[in-house]
Amino acid sequence: MLFKRLLATAAKSVQGPVLQDVVIIGGGPAGLSLLAALKSSSITRNLKCTLVEGSSLEGIREFADSPPEEYTNRVVSLTPKSVEFMQSKIGNWEFMNQDRIKFYNNIIAYDSQDRTSRIVFDGSAIEAGFLAVMAENVNIQSSLLQRISQLKEEGVDSTILDNTKVLSIGSALKEAEAASESTNIMSENVATASDWPIVNLSDGSSIQTRLLVGADGFNSPVRKYAGIQSRGWAYDRFGVVATVKLQYEDYRSIGWQRFLTTGPLAILPLTEDNATIVWSSTPELSEILIACDEQIFPELVNAAMTLDEVSLNFIYAKLKKNPNDFSVLDDIPWRQSRLKVNDLEENYPLPVTEVVPGSRARFPLKLSHADTYTSARIALVGDAAHTVHPLAGQGLNMGQGDVQALVEAIEKGVTRGMDIGSTLVLEPYTSNQWPGNHVLMGVCDKLHKIFSTDWYPIVFLRGFGMKNLNMLDFVKDMMIKNISGR
Amino acid sequence: MNILKGAIAGYGPRKNVVLGLVRLASTSSSGASSSSVKDTAITEDEMSHFNALASSWWDVDGPQRILHKMNLLRMDFIHTTIREHLQLNEPNTPVEDEIYVPAYGLELLPKPIRNRIISEQENKRDEILGKSKLKALDVGCGGGILTESLARLSFIHSVKGIDLSSDVLQAAKVHQLKDPQLTKLQYELKAIEDLPSNQQYDIITMFEMLEHVTYPAKVLEEALSRVKVGGWVFISTINRDFVSWFTTILMGEHLLNIVPVGTHTLDKYINQTEIKDWIESDSDRSEKYKVVRAEGCIYLPAYGWKFTENPNVGNYFMAIQRKK
Ligand SMILES: Cc1cc2nc3c(=O)[nH]c(=O)nc-3n(C[C@H](O)[C@H](O)[C@H](O)COP(=O)(O)OP(=O)(O)OC[C@H]3O[C@@H](n4cnc5c(N)ncnc54)[C@H](O)[C@@H]3O)c2cc1C
Ligand SMILES: C[S@@+](CC[C@H](N)C(=O)[O-])C[C@H]1O[C@@H](n2cnc3c(N)ncnc32)[C@H](O)[C@@H]1O
Repeated sequence: MLFKRLLATAAKSVQGPVLQDVVIIGGGPAGLSLLAALKSSSITRNLKCTLVEGSSLEGIREFADSPPEEYTNRVVSLTPKSVEFMQSKIGNWEFMNQDRIKFYNNIIAYDSQDRTSRIVFDGSAIEAGFLAVMAENVNIQSSLLQRISQLKEEGVDSTILDNTKVLSIGSALKEAEAASESTNIMSENVATASDWPIVNLSDGSSIQTRLLVGADGFNSPVRKYAGIQSRGWAYDRFGVVATVKLQYEDYRSIGWQRFLTTGPLAILPLTEDNATIVWSSTPELSEILIACDEQIFPELVNAAMTLDEVSLNFIYAKLKKNPNDFSVLDDIPWRQSRLKVNDLEENYPLPVTEVVPGSRARFPLKLSHADTYTSARIALVGDAAHTVHPLAGQGLNMGQGDVQALVEAIEKGVTRGMDIGSTLVLEPYTSNQWPGNHVLMGVCDKLHKIFSTDWYPIVFLRGFGMKNLNMLDFVKDMMIKNISGR
Repeated sequence: MNILKGAIAGYGPRKNVVLGLVRLASTSSSGASSSSVKDTAITEDEMSHFNALASSWWDVDGPQRILHKMNLLRMDFIHTTIREHLQLNEPNTPVEDEIYVPAYGLELLPKPIRNRIISEQENKRDEILGKSKLKALDVGCGGGILTESLARLSFIHSVKGIDLSSDVLQAAKVHQLKDPQLTKLQYELKAIEDLPSNQQYDIITMFEMLEHVTYPAKVLEEALSRVKVGGWVFISTINRDFVSWFTTILMGEHLLNIVPVGTHTLDKYINQTEIKDWIESDSDRSEKYKVVRAEGCIYLPAYGWKFTENPNVGNYFMAIQRKK
């Protein structure tokens, strides 16, 4: 008899909000990739999917037909593995604006405290034929949106709600549990209440979903709803990014990275005379880098790529007092003149001549890793699951790996007739993806620690290691593997 | 709360059953002697055992976790068996439309050709399954772990789950209502012999069930008689290490006559070979039905279920196809 009543209440609980199989929170690269991948797979394409993004995707939609003249400042380096995934599984690669991506094959890493130490990564031995490819975040996102539209035209439907924030997440079960706790009576609703998450949106609507995916970035509301801990720490460092112009197009297609005591500075090639820089620096220095005049900034980059630490500190000190102290524009070339001309030409990046106005941005660097990527009806992908130091340029690539592994787990679940929100389906995603990511994060962290210190013994070892590559072979190996995703 | 405790305690020894580690000995005089009980009946203590389990049936971390995990492997077994045995070419297909099925092993062919043949065959399989609308019957469905999975497959038209324990069926129904996708699924409190014999199915499943019934051969016979030509009976159960009783039970009366009352402590486990032998022992049966696949499996705690080399030890899955 009791069960009869239970049946009646259970029947009620499935009405109400819109029902979906998969709701993805976050329209960043990870969320859009997941939607496009699920809809591209013949096994999972019938799942009802909705993606919710808090901000507007209009700018990204416009990018397809009218891309801005200059490069945007969020540029990432994609590994051959990510590219392969986009080509063969997601199918968005053909929609990338091919004039705005740059394949490159070499990375030269060198040290500010030891002129003679240098590591050269040559990617020509890599099967894919390239080491990495530089692309703007917006280019990737745009190609994903186009792929999703193409699938819609082919009759494979999905919903994207942008400009729509997630206000809260709950479930009938959580409510029933809370109610029975407060009244201290085991409510029969607990047995029948649905555990499907209900997502309440800023447009007043709500969606109830079999599986809720948090692709909602570092502060992931989904992760918080699921009560999944994320452990990590902030480095006392900031990343400064900017788009810059080189003196002329560098046909060498080299990514340059210099290890400074304040953190590594990288100049990565884009098409023509464009390049992007990622400069990890102390909070103090990062403020200078953002505040200094647009004429000073390019010279500062040139200085940091070539001069010794003593000279750099002298220049930083001047700019700290006054970020627009134009006298440094005389100091820098004068100090550089001590280097030999052909050394400068051969062993250093081309001089930066301009910074694209408004392209400078800074953000705190942190490392964090969620304890797990899954719980009942929940999966986390991308930065919601892990944030890394951008030293090895892995953040977005790890997200692509997550998406690939999650889609495989879901495909398996569908083939087996499982409820794809069940931990039985989702757990393999965590167990396949988490350990590898953890190792990678450990490597990024160690690289950071090895390369951003001026404590003498380490500097000595570092220099020694760079010269005697055998010793740092493991670092080189790791970096090659990480950069190219092998 | 008490129910839950009872369930876990009651499950203790049977966990081992599922693991195939300990032989489950059960006195089943009640089923055999009482005429009021169904031929295919479950014994009363078995019944109360499953009734007690009802409330925790769907807790994937609870007492049925091993069954939940097993479901992953058996769905693979069912899916791959059906897929592999699809008839790729209807009789009288014109040669030019035929999917090439080499008479000898594919491994012998050069890789590019092999890959082309495989992908052509796979596409054809997708196509056939895409059009299929199979009717399935899950006998001894319990809380519906397998039943629900079958009902979610795109090539399944409808699934009926039957069981003799009303409590587990209620648990199954409550759980079904939590998933709006489960519209092709229907549960009934019924013994298989009470289903009209003209109700024919493409797939009949009897998982982890034969070892609980008094007359397994009878149940199997009822199932075989309800499967369509070309259709499948899938079973899983556990090998017994010694004393065969499967065939002897079949001649129950004989056996009961010769064995003094009280001495027949029967082991209900059924050896894989016994089922094969039983099918072959009857010419009519062996003409119609064939054991197409039998696969041993084992539970590894940190890993889950995996297939073994040997179907004669421990748990096994079996696929019987009706040929005529
Ligand atoms: C400056 C910089 C340089 C980098 N360089 C590299 C590189 O070279 N190579 C590389 O691989 N990676 C790089 N990364 C990392 C990479 O950009 C990130 O890892 C990647 O963007 C993460 O993608 P995501 O989709 O997981 O998260 P995000 O891009 O953070 O997307 C999350 C989305 O969720 C939305 N959202 C959040 N909360 C809500 C809510 N409540 N409701 C609705 N929507 C919500 C947000 O609006 C956002 O759009 C870099 C990162 C930075 C910042
Ligand atoms: C171990 S459970 C297996 C449940 C389900 N088949 C699975 O594997 O998930 C065995 C089930 O068989 C049922 N059962 C036993 N004998 C039966 C019979 N003769 N007819 C129908 N059901 C029976 C029991 O009630 C119990 O629910």
